[in-house]
Amino acid sequence: MNENPAGPRGLESETVAAPEANRAATAILEGRGLVKHYDDGDVEALRGVSLAIGEGEFVAITGPSGCGKTTLLQLLGGLDRPTGGEVLFRGHPLAAIDLDAYHARQVGFVFQSFHLLPTLTSVENVQVPMFEGPWPRRGRAPRAVSLLAEVGLPHRNAHRPGQLSVGERQRVAIARALANDPTLLLADEPTGNLDSKSQDEILRLLADLRHRRGLTLVIVTHSPEVAAAADRRIAMKDGQIT
Amino acid sequence: MGFITLIVRNATNRPTRTALTAIGLAVAIAAVIILVGISWNFERSFEAIYRSKRIDLIAVHAGSTNQLSSSLDARLVDRVRQIDGVSDASPTLVDTVAFEDQNLASVLVNGWVPESLLFRGIRILDGRSLRPGDDHNVLLGRVLALNLDRKVGDRLDVAGEPFTVVGTFESESLFENGALILPLTTLQKMMGREGQATGLVITAKSPAPESLEPLRKRIEAALPGVAVTPARDYVLADTQIRLAKAMAWATASIAMVLGAVGMLNTMLMSIFERTREIGLLRAVGWRRRRVLALILGESLAIALAGSVLGGMLAAAGMRALTLSPTSQGFIDPRIPPEVLGLGLIMGIGLSMLGGLYPAARAAALDPTEALRHE
Ligand SMILES: Nc1ncnc2c1ncn2[C@@H]1O[C@H](COP(=O)(O)OP(=O)(O)OP(=O)(O)O)[C@@H](O)[C@H]1O
Ligand SMILES: [Mg+2]
Repeated sequence: MNENPAGPRGLESETVAAPEANRAATAILEGRGLVKHYDDGDVEALRGVSLAIGEGEFVAITGPSGCGKTTLLQLLGGLDRPTGGEVLFRGHPLAAIDLDAYHARQVGFVFQSFHLLPTLTSVENVQVPMFEGPWPRRGRAPRAVSLLAEVGLPHRNAHRPGQLSVGERQRVAIARALANDPTLLLADEPTGNLDSKSQDEILRLLADLRHRRGLTLVIVTHSPEVAAAADRRIAMKDGQIT
Repeated sequence: MGFITLIVRNATNRPTRTALTAIGLAVAIAAVIILVGISWNFERSFEAIYRSKRIDLIAVHAGSTNQLSSSLDARLVDRVRQIDGVSDASPTLVDTVAFEDQNLASVLVNGWVPESLLFRGIRILDGRSLRPGDDHNVLLGRVLALNLDRKVGDRLDVAGEPFTVVGTFESESLFENGALILPLTTLQKMMGREGQATGLVITAKSPAPESLEPLRKRIEAALPGVAVTPARDYVLADTQIRLAKAMAWATASIAMVLGAVGMLNTMLMSIFERTREIGLLRAVGWRRRRVLALILGESLAIALAGSVLGGMLAAAGMRALTLSPTSQGFIDPRIPPEVLGLGLIMGIGLSMLGGLYPAARAAALDPTEALRHE
């Protein structure tokens, strides 16, 4: 695991000597000239997006529907490859690192529609990413229990997603995103399916976790409240940052 | 939660579909075990005849592929006995008869010379064996006696002629337990083949293969137009046995392919339904090979359940077959362990093959596309 550049330790000790922008030197995540085409170029979802996100920063990405927010988040999280440009994690191009390890150890994803496995209980859902983590088999369940407590859901361990409220489901999904102690939390409209009360709770939870764990938090959102809570807001339109 | 828990949870998530796939596989595995088992036992039982009677060589009319179609002069046996290296020899005439009242379509009738070497391995259960001078007297194999409901002293019509049952016997070979034995001369007259035999059975002084081969050549040289075969080769070359084996394997293969296709279908459906789940697994960092292992593991779980069920079904099926009067006595209900092992290995192997393609497809899924899947 240690020879893997996306491993937990491999990069932290290195100083990234970036000659150009000063922000890039302290950036944990950087996009350079990102272009993304779908359907053989018929759809230009991103048309040259550059951004840098600092370690521990809370960034909100906003913009009208179809402007490329999800696409950008997927590129930053290494779920998809850009058509042009590159994404750097701590100065290393994602194209050159082990993406499975990056997903498993550095990134926690939170989705609008949760994507919980319907046959598994809360505790089991939270354990799913741990198969790729450093945890001994017997350590996984207690770890999942404590993560569920951390996200404020200590009493629903044995419930399946269908037996939970939508707000509770998102808490389980957040606990799952934390399963392997990631450095980045990437959330795509995490409150999009929630009522305003649940939205406030989830927003407070994410902000809390970011402080407590020193996470870098990137949230794609349509909600002005969520955007207002962020350190910085990146507004997009037609595949570009405005 | 361990990986195996996850596999079992997924496999049992759709209990009906999983059960149906496992049952389909079980039927395929049971078919293989039963069919191959029967042909296997058939061959063993055939071999047992020669082994128990210490028959080393068999002489038939050159060009005949099985006993029933051969015809030889029975008196050749005297010349065979003179040949150096021959310990004993005896003619045998074989035919089949029907006992329609009992619904037995084709019962083996052996025409033997009383007290010949052919009576080795025959144990008289009741009454006596055949004696020189017997004419319309008959010995019934244990199973045949049961099926015909005859005991010593009873009358029995064989092909329209009246016989007296003088004894019942048990043989080491299942075939003979379902057969009857008449004096050779009586059967010759009934068949209109006076002086004829279907073949000669020969015991050598030394059964070692090195001495058997020269002896075989000497007999063939002494009796033109006669083909002599070692008993073991004779069993293997018998067209009926070969046919039975080929049929068993052909049917078994088809059953197995169907079982594997069932698995393929089930697992493809299963991964298609779970496309988003698989996309999620990849998004949280599951490597392709772990996804592959998950889906293959699910196939294996179903295959194991199907195999256990298939083994039990085969055992029950074999028992059920022996209950039918026409097959009773010809079918040994025991499942040879080799055949059982073979059936299980084939079942598991082929269903893993059926699971491989869906597993590879699942592992190849692109996470973003899979997560977007409706
Ligand atoms: N897989 C795809 N194939 C083709 N076109 C796509 C694909 N994914 C996204 N697009 C298109 O790319 C553009 C950007 O999509 P994206 O999902 O990034 O927008 P978004 O800003 O997240 O929108 P929303 O706020 O509605 O979620 C849209 O025009 C969309 O239709
Ligand atoms: Mg979106």
